[in-house]
Amino acid sequence: MRDFILGLAFMLSGCIVIYVAQQYPTMASLQFGPSLFPSLIGGGFLIGGLFLSVKQVPILKTQYASNTPGNNRPLPIRSLLASLLPCVMIIFYILTSEFLGAAVSLAIGIFVLMLSRKASLLLSLAVSILASLTIYFIFSTYLMIPLPEGLMRFWG
Amino acid sequence: MDTILLGLQLVFNVETLLVILAASVFGVFVGAVPGLTATMAVALLVPITFYMDPVPAIAAIVTTSAMAIFSGDIPATYLNIPGTPSSAAYVGDSHLLARSGRARETLGVNLVCSVFGGIFGTIILVFVSPSLAEVALQFSSFEYFWLALLGLSCSIFIAIGSRVKAFLSLMIGLLLSTVGLDMMSGAPRFTFGIPDLMAGINFIPVMIGMFALNELMLFYGSRGDGRAMPSLSKDSVFSQVPGHLKAYWPNMFRGGSIGTLIGALPGAGADIAAWISYAVGKGRSKQKEAYGTGHIEGIVDASSANNSGISGAWVPALVFGIPGDSITAIVIGVLYMKGMNPGPTIFMDGSGLIYALFVVFFLANLVMLPIGYAAIRSAKVFILTPRKVLMPIILCFCIVGAFSINNSITDVWIMLIIGAVASILARCDFPMAPAILGLVLGTTLENNFMSSMLKSNGDLLAFFSRPISAGLGALVILLWLSPLLTMAYKKFKHANSNKAQELS
Repeated sequence: MRDFILGLAFMLSGCIVIYVAQQYPTMASLQFGPSLFPSLIGGGFLIGGLFLSVKQVPILKTQYASNTPGNNRPLPIRSLLASLLPCVMIIFYILTSEFLGAAVSLAIGIFVLMLSRKASLLLSLAVSILASLTIYFIFSTYLMIPLPEGLMRFWG
Repeated sequence: MDTILLGLQLVFNVETLLVILAASVFGVFVGAVPGLTATMAVALLVPITFYMDPVPAIAAIVTTSAMAIFSGDIPATYLNIPGTPSSAAYVGDSHLLARSGRARETLGVNLVCSVFGGIFGTIILVFVSPSLAEVALQFSSFEYFWLALLGLSCSIFIAIGSRVKAFLSLMIGLLLSTVGLDMMSGAPRFTFGIPDLMAGINFIPVMIGMFALNELMLFYGSRGDGRAMPSLSKDSVFSQVPGHLKAYWPNMFRGGSIGTLIGALPGAGADIAAWISYAVGKGRSKQKEAYGTGHIEGIVDASSANNSGISGAWVPALVFGIPGDSITAIVIGVLYMKGMNPGPTIFMDGSGLIYALFVVFFLANLVMLPIGYAAIRSAKVFILTPRKVLMPIILCFCIVGAFSINNSITDVWIMLIIGAVASILARCDFPMAPAILGLVLGTTLENNFMSSMLKSNGDLLAFFSRPISAGLGALVILLWLSPLLTMAYKKFKHANSNKAQELS
């Protein structure tokens, strides 16, 4: 079922890519231009998605006929949500680093992520402060990356 | 001679030597922690190499990858968890030997075979690539188009698992490569009005997203660190090695040759080299039944192959600019960023860079011996490093590393989106290597196709008008037809055997 849905998603993406590519201008000296490769890639998505979905049809038919759930185990919602934690932390960093500063945002992120894996409070606090300050100083001082200072600017 | 001396000067200076040492320790650490791969180590390293000179930057990547491939054997031996996918082929044998109290002996054999494999692959790289480069000098856009297409096609046909999924993964990489201003017409493509996307998608945030963020998401989606303290053995690291090498030296040469050859094929990395070498070794062994039961012969086969695969992947990368695996795909991106175009001219520019690279390869493999020995002796530190502490810190490196390429938050968004998509695809068994090759080779493929079409006034037959171009074109077509030909051959054979049965 998973591959069947993914196949459909690829087919839909292929249609969108081809549609967007058709809006690009053509070149005077050639019959094709910037739209050629994206259109071919869109075609690739369509064909590949079709193959992926069609291959699943007999399996789905058998499952439907015998009324068995097959490999369709219930979705592990808790595990899926937990796997999104790093993404949430990145979004948190993007939204807060300008006014909190890179070091503070990173420290909060490390602290929360460590607690989520049941690390002790003291260890989480120590590692988050040490690691975020080390990373901040390596990149801002040694590699001269203009990381957002935020609250750090009041520190000195 | 002056060029060779210049190359030696580029390597034997304090900065480069310190970088090699630091990278080897970093590589050992990342490889030895289960769940962190060699490719992930290199992806995390790239933002830092961005600020180095070309030789130390490449030295850091070469050393880290070689070291990580070896040290992946440490948790494989003690915990039955391969540190990197390249150690998976012989994890059963290694762990069974460790359980019988021979862990250090096994790791000693691993280490020596890894050093041998790496040096064997480097020797082939040194001798083969300059001759190939002379041939490559005759190449025009027609040949480079076919070569890029051949590389991309190989990445589909060699991929483990579904070819359809490998094909779709490749299409994703190719689509990402089209983002930005079109080189021929200057028209913006898939930029959605975002100025940062006009120059295209930088491959580093994509790489970090695909290999590092994806792993982090898998880790947080799984349960517990779950690693108990293993009983560490006290046997000698090297005392049994000479005996094993005396018995299995042909396996080392065979593993090295297979590894280099497989590594040179685009899309096939050290892990595939190890699996194939293990299977070939088992097929030719006098003790076939002992494989998988804690037999050292299979370890010799595969651990020689995975490190030689790393060196082999550099042959097409340096000569044609076609990456052999994900790591060389990253390196090609780094070389482009530093204004050095990989290809045949790199052998003739007189800067000594190519000799510096060769020396770096030898050094990276030789330094593996003492650092690897120290790593085996202190295995406890690596295998028991809690991932709940390590993973949040890696995530911070991912964020800051992606940001540092253009000092732009757009790159952090790109890393996030690619990482999330890669995580979904990885859960559905999509291989990631074709996507990376697609991203790196997409522009080469399109630009060479377009310039060839301009040269030939749109005549497609011009792609077969030059002998090498026609040969490469025929090879690509043959590769694409190979599943059909194999199917037809099997049907023919089946029909014939049926006929023979009826007659008898």
